[in-house]
Amino acid sequence: MNMMLFGPELYYLGMALVFFCLSLRRQVQVQLDYQIALALSAVGVLVAGVCLFQQGDLFFKAYRVDLFSQIFKFALALGLFLVLMISHNLPSIEERYQAEFYLFLTTTTIGMMMLVSSVELLTIYVALELSSYSLYILVPLRRGDGIDVEAGIKYLFIGAVSSGFMLFGLSYIFGATGSTYLSDILPKMTQLVNSPIGIIGLLLSMAGFFFKLSVFPFHFWAPDVYQGGANQVVAFIATASKAAAVALLLRLAVLGHAFGYNFTIALVILSVVSMTLGNLVAIVQKDFKRMLAYSSIAHAGVFLMGVLTLTEGGFIGAIYYALAYLVMNFTVFMVLSEVATDGRDLKIAELAGLYRRSPLLMMSLILGIFALAGVPPSIGFTGKLLIFTSAMSAGYFWLVLIGAVNGTICLYYYLKVIYAAYFIDDPGLPVIKLSLPIKLLNYALAAIIIGFGFCPDRIIELAKAAAKMVL
Amino acid sequence: MLLSPFVGLLILLCLKNEQKFLIRAVAVTAGGISLGLAIFTFVTYDKSLGGLQFVEKYEWVKTFGITYYVGVEGLNAPMLLLTGIVIFTGCLTMWELETRTKEYFIWMMALVTGVFGVFMSYDMFFFFLFYEIAVVPMYILILVWGSTRKEYAAMKLTLYLMAGSGLIIPGILLLYASSGLNTFNMVLLHGAHFTPWVQKVAFILLFFGFGVLAAVWPFHTWSPVGHVAAPTAVSMLHAGVLMKLGSFAILRVAMFLLPEGFQYWANLMMILATVGIVYGVFVGLAQTDLKYVIGYSSVSHMGIVCLGLSTGTIDGLNGSVFQMFAHGIMTALFFSSVGYIYDRTHTRDIHQLGGFSKIMPVASAFFITAALCGAGVPGMASFWAELLVFIATVKVFPIAGLLAIAALVVGALFALRVVQNSFFNTPNPKFVHFEDVSPFLAIPRMILIGTLLLFGFFPQVMVSMIKSSVVPFLQGM
Repeated sequence: MNMMLFGPELYYLGMALVFFCLSLRRQVQVQLDYQIALALSAVGVLVAGVCLFQQGDLFFKAYRVDLFSQIFKFALALGLFLVLMISHNLPSIEERYQAEFYLFLTTTTIGMMMLVSSVELLTIYVALELSSYSLYILVPLRRGDGIDVEAGIKYLFIGAVSSGFMLFGLSYIFGATGSTYLSDILPKMTQLVNSPIGIIGLLLSMAGFFFKLSVFPFHFWAPDVYQGGANQVVAFIATASKAAAVALLLRLAVLGHAFGYNFTIALVILSVVSMTLGNLVAIVQKDFKRMLAYSSIAHAGVFLMGVLTLTEGGFIGAIYYALAYLVMNFTVFMVLSEVATDGRDLKIAELAGLYRRSPLLMMSLILGIFALAGVPPSIGFTGKLLIFTSAMSAGYFWLVLIGAVNGTICLYYYLKVIYAAYFIDDPGLPVIKLSLPIKLLNYALAAIIIGFGFCPDRIIELAKAAAKMVL
Repeated sequence: MLLSPFVGLLILLCLKNEQKFLIRAVAVTAGGISLGLAIFTFVTYDKSLGGLQFVEKYEWVKTFGITYYVGVEGLNAPMLLLTGIVIFTGCLTMWELETRTKEYFIWMMALVTGVFGVFMSYDMFFFFLFYEIAVVPMYILILVWGSTRKEYAAMKLTLYLMAGSGLIIPGILLLYASSGLNTFNMVLLHGAHFTPWVQKVAFILLFFGFGVLAAVWPFHTWSPVGHVAAPTAVSMLHAGVLMKLGSFAILRVAMFLLPEGFQYWANLMMILATVGIVYGVFVGLAQTDLKYVIGYSSVSHMGIVCLGLSTGTIDGLNGSVFQMFAHGIMTALFFSSVGYIYDRTHTRDIHQLGGFSKIMPVASAFFITAALCGAGVPGMASFWAELLVFIATVKVFPIAGLLAIAALVVGALFALRVVQNSFFNTPNPKFVHFEDVSPFLAIPRMILIGTLLLFGFFPQVMVSMIKSSVVPFLQGM
């Protein structure tokens, strides 16, 4: 039975081995590799789906399999599958490295899957590093003129620094409580209420995930990495890795219960600064991916809002929004990578005439962008509303007010994208041809965005059951 | 209930490609069906029984207490009728549209779905959801099919309205959180006792938030610009129906749930409304573009609605709701006739049009009728509405009432001046060759005029309808 508990991880480990072997070949067969990758990741989604309701402990209780972790594993598997869907041509990655591209995407997925199940500090750290190192390699893998290397180095440095912070924080927690198990630490936290060591240790340990989620002040990498990385890699960073980070923040934030106001006010400040900074800077961006990077910083603030409530409602909101964010952000990236067929960085102005070039992509773009902006009826709106609702219920009136005002600011730059794509036309640009799977993907994403936005009940019930596992 | 034709229609529109006639036909049919349903509910609503009728209620999200809860009562039945009439005539008016027809009607139907939803919802979640659905398509409608500085107008309008939403969300959530009932259901929340602080803060948030859409005075600047830029049917819908969403929401959510907050802020509402009335009239005087004239007159007429609301009396509310209805039909007529004239002449300048009634007597007649109605001539629906509001206001706030009446007299003057300059001067020779409105295109305008006259001569039909809800509404406060 243990095998089933570890099912998704084992499956992806096997998948990584396959790609490892493929990468050893001297003759590259790009098309074959791609088909294998796509098929394997599709099966992976099924495996993660089958294991959705598994429950149990592994490895001396350092590893917990419950609905919470399994939902996120499913989301990660889905994220990988979606990203591979849009990797059908990888102009920005050299052909002989494409097998490695699949390999490292798979290993980072394993890392994140292990991350969401870890309930022990060292396991968390090791899993985090596993997922991070793969991404450190993926970012500069792009064929480019140095911009990729700059992005890679920035990502590595800031990642390393935040890891340092995190280790420092973990050592504090371990030192003060004498345990590395979250379940043992939780009751001991109450004894630390009057000394700063607990709260500082906890905040520092969350730094690693602030980095992943690009929360201020660990957000500096986001614009450069988004712009410098290959579109597909960035799509993965912007969707799946965010979901994993949210999962871990939820797990860790529970430890802060004992500190009450002192702990949450720190998160409130981070949330407000992230939202406002991200939205204001996004307004002036011309590059589409850079704009999305700042929008992700702003969204990190929204996620934090859900986390810091420390209530069931807030956690439901955060889980729901993490899943929603994965889908809607991916939708936008899909449009981006389909428009930029040669793998270049897309300026917002280059979306011109999209409504004529491909009405289907236009529809997806409108839905994705409106969902990100929190316009109903979309999952983005419902998720944001759930988070705001619980933040208000927890008594954060001003935070919600600032969040809502930010919702207005962000609309400006999101509308500029719609404006460029729907209103401006450039007759010189050719019609974009979509393959059948991509067309289906478009319809599926549109159905998810609207369907689950309007009828969120099923997902919310699932998220509720998952939130109970963490709290 | 009323939503079903629209959802069906959205799907239908997504499928068709280049068959313009079919698209238009489908749009008009959908508009017609909803109009039929609206008339049906209006007629069959049992006034003697009162209360909520035609209720549909489903549990939607249990964890957060969201229910899908729609119904009809005396307050929203006129609004539904208004929406039905305006959408039907609006679709007919846009029959001649050639560019990107399909997309246009898709967005328009989305907008109308939202409007119907807002008027019928009794759950704050769905209320807000539909509210946003009604607001957002405006951006694209104005941007693509608009005229005169459309990019600026579209962005300004959307940001203003979304800023309003930014105030509404905290307001709504504050109510949800502080009630402790874990429900978004407005009927249940009505029974909750909010502390004075919550009442005051939430009311002002909601009032300003919704007030942006109702073009309450300092937040009105998006409205004339938006009206001018929007294509004809969108102007009709927008001035005719969307602005009513704002004032209706103030009534439905803010005043209904927060009576104490309303008492506290009633004076502010009154002052802003009066300033709006006077300001609208005087700025309108200086305009030379017909659409700007109408835009500012809308600001002043919406001021009358708010003034009626601020009195908090039976007559005041009756008049307010009646005025929302009458003004909606009237502006729709205004924009519809101006749109027709503009499509032919490509100008809306009062002096250029000159003696237009000699060239297009029928089209001009439509405009003149609307202008008379705007000036509050007896025999038109808005006469009764304004009368009710002013009676109530003079009783409660004498100074504001007198000011508003004085402004209205000036307003009548300026309506006549506009009519005289644009329709009864010497005709501009450039436009002589234009033909008048064809009978087919005259149908929608005739419907609008018919409605105005019908309720002008039989106001009791409407007033008794509204009253059946206003009386229990005020007792509940």
